[in-house]
Amino acid sequence: MMQPVIELRKMTKAYRGVPAVKDVDFTLMKGEVHALLGENGAGKSTLTKIMAGVVEATSGEILHNGQKVAFANPHEALQNGIAMVFQETSLVPSMTVAQNIYLGEERFLNRLRGIYIAAQQFLQSLNFSVDPTASVSALGAAKRQMVEIARAVHHKADVIIFDEPTATLTPEEKRHFFALMKRLKASGVSIVFITHALEEALAHADRISILRDGELIETGPAADFDRNMVVRAMVGRALTGEIYNRRREASDLRKRGRQILSVRDVSMGNMVRNNSFSIFEGQITGVFGLVGSGRTETFKIVSGIYKRDFLRGGEIEFDGRPVRYNVPVHAVRDGIVYVTEDRKLEGFFETMSIAENFYSGPLAADLTRSSVISFAEMREISAEWSRRLGVKAINDNARVVELSGGNQQKVVIGKGLAQRPKLVIFDEPTRGVDVGAIAEIHRFINQLADEGLAVVVISSYLPEVMNLSDRILVCRQGRVVEEISPVEATEEKIMFAAVH
Amino acid sequence: MSLLDPILDLFRGKAVTIPPMDGALKPNTALDDGEVVAAALAPDNLAVLRGVPIYSSHREIRQLGYDHAVVGTCPADVSAIAVAEDGTLAVGLEDGSLKIGDRMVEGFNGITALAFQGNNLYVTNGSDHFRPSQWVSDLMHRNASGSVWEVDVKGGQRRKLAGGLAYANGVVVDAANNRLIVSESWRHRLSAVPLAGGNATEVLGRLPAYPGRITSAPRGYLLALFAPLNRLVEFVLQEPQYRADMMREIDSRFWIAPTLSPPHSFLEPLQNGGVRSMGVHKPWSPSRSYGLVATLDNALQPMTSYHSRANGRFHGVTSALAVDGAILATSKGGNHIISVQAGEGAS
Repeated sequence: MMQPVIELRKMTKAYRGVPAVKDVDFTLMKGEVHALLGENGAGKSTLTKIMAGVVEATSGEILHNGQKVAFANPHEALQNGIAMVFQETSLVPSMTVAQNIYLGEERFLNRLRGIYIAAQQFLQSLNFSVDPTASVSALGAAKRQMVEIARAVHHKADVIIFDEPTATLTPEEKRHFFALMKRLKASGVSIVFITHALEEALAHADRISILRDGELIETGPAADFDRNMVVRAMVGRALTGEIYNRRREASDLRKRGRQILSVRDVSMGNMVRNNSFSIFEGQITGVFGLVGSGRTETFKIVSGIYKRDFLRGGEIEFDGRPVRYNVPVHAVRDGIVYVTEDRKLEGFFETMSIAENFYSGPLAADLTRSSVISFAEMREISAEWSRRLGVKAINDNARVVELSGGNQQKVVIGKGLAQRPKLVIFDEPTRGVDVGAIAEIHRFINQLADEGLAVVVISSYLPEVMNLSDRILVCRQGRVVEEISPVEATEEKIMFAAVH
Repeated sequence: MSLLDPILDLFRGKAVTIPPMDGALKPNTALDDGEVVAAALAPDNLAVLRGVPIYSSHREIRQLGYDHAVVGTCPADVSAIAVAEDGTLAVGLEDGSLKIGDRMVEGFNGITALAFQGNNLYVTNGSDHFRPSQWVSDLMHRNASGSVWEVDVKGGQRRKLAGGLAYANGVVVDAANNRLIVSESWRHRLSAVPLAGGNATEVLGRLPAYPGRITSAPRGYLLALFAPLNRLVEFVLQEPQYRADMMREIDSRFWIAPTLSPPHSFLEPLQNGGVRSMGVHKPWSPSRSYGLVATLDNALQPMTSYHSRANGRFHGVTSALAVDGAILATSKGGNHIISVQAGEGAS
């Protein structure tokens, strides 16, 4: 009988009172490959981070080889043989491969040549073709992952957790990765891997566990699952709340207007691959895709935040004109506004007032009446957008950092719309926003489309995409793979297109 | 930056881009879901003769009915059909001969489409170098030797209206604007040619597939698009040496080129674009064959479309015809004639 290596009992983790993981029981057997599946935000990463000592559980207990443990940090977990390989690797880019593998084990005096020879032998024993003297910054995603795995194996980890290991890998690299996973398994290592690619889970895992909204929905041998069962378990939430209960009829959908944006075969590294689609005026185009599907990156290319490949990077036509923006301000001046998904980092100036934030929009787009800052105009713009968006604050001089998530988001939206755009791209417009503000933001987005603007809503939340959109584009592996009408769309159908 | 692009393209190569199928051309499965009205070998050239739809199948012209009665048998494969208001039948043949009623008109190389207007018959000559069945060779040679002609039905004289067309493959008369609408397959566009003759000007460009025959419909036009644009094919079309080697050394069935039918041999190049996972052929995967019929309004803008996607059966739609509220389409690659109710399942 196989012994459990790790057991999580009644595991709960809450962030500011909001549970990310609720009463989850999870068992990892010795030498098994266990796939962890779920939608974005289902709690997969949190659960694995608890196992690896990256986050501390709010309640519940962890048993490692039958012994109760509590890891204060990842180092402690690693010493106990539990290693986590993150999607964004935790290697030091300026150091060499060998230095990264032996990081933390340095002696008082180190002989680099000795470390390189030892690393070379060690990497060869794992059948990894990585040069130990190469700088990590010069390595591709797959090789970085190999180094990370080598580091885990070097620390004699008997449990390795992979977070989205294949998201950035090429098909060839994926094959190498799964061969390696097989070898690790054969040597008795237990593996947990998080993935959005169902076929990977079904083909390579021994057991599958599915999380939804922080709860464990199903767990069992991979052979007992098929794709449809997995998809149903992943998305089968009850659609509660009046925001998402709207039933869409063909007559509800707005007719498409003029084509404002045409994206043809746009490519950017491995993230965006030959992506083609059009956006029309007077419609809300919903864009759904899982992490790594390239949806945000594509629209960041459109808005000049990222640059498409210089060679064979495709073509973008905006308002009938081919464009290639070097910086976002050129896109803003042409009428493209991107409302970021990470408002705290990219969305607003947190220590500036609401009025100043609103004013920064037209200022960037060169739409202010004078070339010097006019406080009267600032107040005017601020008053208009505060009223239109219903920003709740003591006054316009309140700092944005003091506002609630919903009101902060309204400021970000107002700042963008004050630039008088032709195309507005909302990336996760209601992430981290309370229910009341969600309804207001949705109403406002609808109003924009009714006024004839071209609107794009990128969202990971299926009900939001289904309820807001007049057409739904589904992204997978860096390109739009399916267009679904909201009338015929079901959560299963969209998810199936996104993962399979 | 965009100003520099044409100069930079000289060094880095021009981007090969394919217009997306969306908007009015959003993919659906309307053709595959449609009613199969006949199974026939390489059906083509739909027309209506004395109130009954007819089609061609290799050398034969047949009625579309329960017995598929043979209307006529020709000495060569039929490449185009048109019926005048008085019931005169015009037939273009693979060998370039044109028969209008009992009169023979010579001098064409590859008749691809015909359209009557009064005493005139308008003829598209696809290529001066290749016969209609050799259209793939014409594409691979990147020819633009197509032309449109006006033939006097009574006298038999012919007059060239426009030349230099990149495979003229469909024609319809736009009497209201005194012009012909011509499909230029290799330029992925529809062009207008004045009835008096003159240069062809683009009226609908950047189509995501190769346009073929075009016919009048109650609210505009019906356009059959017989094969999809494909990045790999477009890339090959930019590589003259590769194409020359391919045409010299490889059987034409296995060229990297558009085709009318889904693959039948493992030797065929990447029909599925490598996108077949766990036994499921992805409908969105790039393919060499496809089925597509588009309805266009009077301004020639796409309104709706009917598709058979990469994983569908009815590829290579070469002609379409509006009959009694339904749309008939010949899937030459799929060997079937399909009927879909106008608007049903369309994008």
